[in-house]
Amino acid sequence: MNLWAHEFRLLMRQRLPMAALALLTILTVASLALGIAEVSRQRDAISAIPAAQSQDIAAVADYIDSTKDAGSAAYYSYHPTWDSPSPLAFAALGMRDVSPYILRVRALGLEAQIYDGDTFNPELALTGHLDFAFVLVFLAPLFVIALFHDIVSGEREAGRQRMLEALPHGGTALWQRRGALRLILLWAGLALPFVVAAGLEGVSVGPILAIGALIAAYLLFWVGLAALVSRFRRSSVANAAILAAAWLLLVLVLPTLANVAINATVPVHQGAEIALAHREEVNRAWDIPREDTMRRFYAHHPEWSGSAPLGPDFHYKWYLAFHQNGDESVAPQVHAYRAGLESREAAARTVGILLPSVGAQMLLTQMANTDLSAQLRYQDRIRAFHKRLRTFYYGYLFNDLPFGRKDFDRVPEFDSRT
Amino acid sequence: MSVVTLVARDELRMMVRNRVAMIGLALLMLLTLTAVLSAWMYQRGVSELRARHAHAAESTFDAQPDRHPHRMVHYGSFIFRPLGPLAAFDPGVDAFTGSSMFLEGHRQNTANFGDVRQSSPLIRFGQLTPAFILQAVAPLLLVFLGYGSLARETERGTLRMLILQGVARGKIVTGKLLALGLVALIAGMPAMIGLAAIAVRQDTPALPVLTIAAGYAAYLALWAVLIVLISAWVRRSRDALLVLVAIWAVSTILLPRAAAGLADAEIPLANRLQTDVAIGRDLRAIGDSHNPDDPHFAAFKRSVLDRYGVSRIEDLPINYKGVVALEGERLTSSLFDHYAAKSFAAQARQNAMVDLAGLLSPAIALRAMSMAAAGTDLDGHRRFLEQAEAYRYALVQRLNSMQAQDVSYLDDMATDPGADRRKRVSAANWQEIPDFRFAAPDGATLTAAALPSLIMVLAWLAVALAMLALVTRKLGLRR
Repeated sequence: MNLWAHEFRLLMRQRLPMAALALLTILTVASLALGIAEVSRQRDAISAIPAAQSQDIAAVADYIDSTKDAGSAAYYSYHPTWDSPSPLAFAALGMRDVSPYILRVRALGLEAQIYDGDTFNPELALTGHLDFAFVLVFLAPLFVIALFHDIVSGEREAGRQRMLEALPHGGTALWQRRGALRLILLWAGLALPFVVAAGLEGVSVGPILAIGALIAAYLLFWVGLAALVSRFRRSSVANAAILAAAWLLLVLVLPTLANVAINATVPVHQGAEIALAHREEVNRAWDIPREDTMRRFYAHHPEWSGSAPLGPDFHYKWYLAFHQNGDESVAPQVHAYRAGLESREAAARTVGILLPSVGAQMLLTQMANTDLSAQLRYQDRIRAFHKRLRTFYYGYLFNDLPFGRKDFDRVPEFDSRT
Repeated sequence: MSVVTLVARDELRMMVRNRVAMIGLALLMLLTLTAVLSAWMYQRGVSELRARHAHAAESTFDAQPDRHPHRMVHYGSFIFRPLGPLAAFDPGVDAFTGSSMFLEGHRQNTANFGDVRQSSPLIRFGQLTPAFILQAVAPLLLVFLGYGSLARETERGTLRMLILQGVARGKIVTGKLLALGLVALIAGMPAMIGLAAIAVRQDTPALPVLTIAAGYAAYLALWAVLIVLISAWVRRSRDALLVLVAIWAVSTILLPRAAAGLADAEIPLANRLQTDVAIGRDLRAIGDSHNPDDPHFAAFKRSVLDRYGVSRIEDLPINYKGVVALEGERLTSSLFDHYAAKSFAAQARQNAMVDLAGLLSPAIALRAMSMAAAGTDLDGHRRFLEQAEAYRYALVQRLNSMQAQDVSYLDDMATDPGADRRKRVSAANWQEIPDFRFAAPDGATLTAAALPSLIMVLAWLAVALAMLALVTRKLGLRR
């Protein structure tokens, strides 16, 4: 214990390691503050939905109440859905900047609505976030390099190595003690602010422990690399150069190369093709006999087939039926598109096994529910909600029931958890 | 042989002897070539794909049968943003913005299917492009090659000997700078060859290419000066390396994100839900076309009747429903423009804040210069969105006019079995509607947009040179 306290005192006197530790802690705190601010902005935006929405729906209800037309109600009503940030989202903001976390849908064709985005500044998105994941994945290794590149070589250059190795508890035990102390301090600089932030955000103990372990594992990888490099007994400056070059490769260059490789080997049919096909299918309905549309619709949805036949006038049940036919006609493409996206993510996971930088980033976004899978799960919730909306409006349309002001209160509401 | 060349030759010989450094340089050149090729192929592939999609969308539009014009308003038009030739050098925000847009009446849709939501999540680590290599990777390689240029000589005492022998300090520093500058030139060469290959294409404007080349040359020169400066300033080569890596990490990796994060936190953007609800509210405040007693539309109806000197809409020589559609679209579009301008103004303020951080980091200034000259910055996307909206408005109003002129009011209101047929206008009309053509900005516009950032990079270079001159005068004086 005495020796550890001694090492700590020695470390405290060195300018470079102490400055590095202080800087890392400041950056960690700043990234956590920015992450929490962003997440709380997202929560505010979500909690502002009901006020805006009730104003909007009230105006629709005023208009519909005079005609009692359920079809117009379905056509003119937009229904909000949202994807609340998870408690851990502040640590890894992931794709929440480029994918919408609020999306309004109508009971019309969903495939023309579900890929819509929200407003964001693409230049800021291109730069990327300054979140905790960034500090850990990109910056922390540089601090490991600053603190570890000269543990042994620095003593050698100062002419103390032989003496230190000859001391009792010297040599390997000494290097290990020094290394462990620096590792613990680096870990504390990252993990302690994180634990405080996670506590404030109400993250449960399990994920906090898991991320504490992830931080330790990621730091250990870089410490191991530094130890490996120092075995070649090069000078401190050569060690630092080699480690910085390794950082450049592992964190900047190889992930971009892997991205090119994945996009080349896992082709994804462009989503735009779904949109084009969907539009053709939906608009074609105006040029074919309306009975064909209804027959096809009833074949898939016999529960509504008891509805009265179409009269000469426009009827919204026909309009909504061809929208649903349109959705169903592109279902195979939608499925393939999604499978393509998932296999690209799976390929990136494989890369993550080989590249710790990618692995750590993907684990963090996965735990924070901010990765592509989380976006796809949100889309699943939107689809389930949209199905409930359709069923709700069809109940009025196919039974020719009037849709009054009170019926607006019966419209299904999005449940962000299901 | 002059002293300067001697020093430079000696320094270059030192570098060549450093095997690790040479492997690094070779790897960088290989990587740049890969980036040049992959960005080139990406640009080609994406351009062809979008052109093919655009062509398919245009031919299906032209092939629509006889229709009521309002059906075509909802059939709408699908357009694709073309990718300029310089995107093969710096694709900028292209992957982060939607590239296709559905244009229809009464609605302003978002640009969808951006690559960032379609490619692997690794895209957030950066994209392998010549611009990325020159901005981020090349400076670090120069650091590895040059950190010891003067610090090494100071450390070993050889610098003192040189000075005692009467070699001018300025000549030593110039020689070292010359050597590192030469390496920078070699490191930047593959990317510049890639740029030249883009420049010879017919559709590439010349001025932005020159701007980009000048900007990156100044940037790499700045790093060479900075490296020699720190190497002269700091006594030990290890400290020089750590300081330089720290400067690099802060300026290229940390500050851009910090600036973006602050801009995002400082200047909020209205989201789509709030904007749509606000547009709906404003529209209701102007007038409600559904309400027969609405004052705005009652006055509008009176003015139309007065213009034609009739008292009933049935007596109008034109279809009143089409006239109302024209008026309704005019109102909604003016609101779309108003809110889009507001959002773009906020985004421009965000970017101005980031640009200001270019005073702290030359990498930020260079990136802004590069994207602006390549036409792949936010302004480039805005140009597309604004032209798309102008096209949408013209298309919808043309179809609304068709409804007003070519479909009679009585037919439009009729519901008898033959009415549907009488409401339709000839399919030949669709082919006459011009297709969307993105008007690419000319070279002068792009260059003008890139100029402020280019000046900032040059100012960085000037300041670094001035500091180097100062440090040179005191070279070797400290213990």
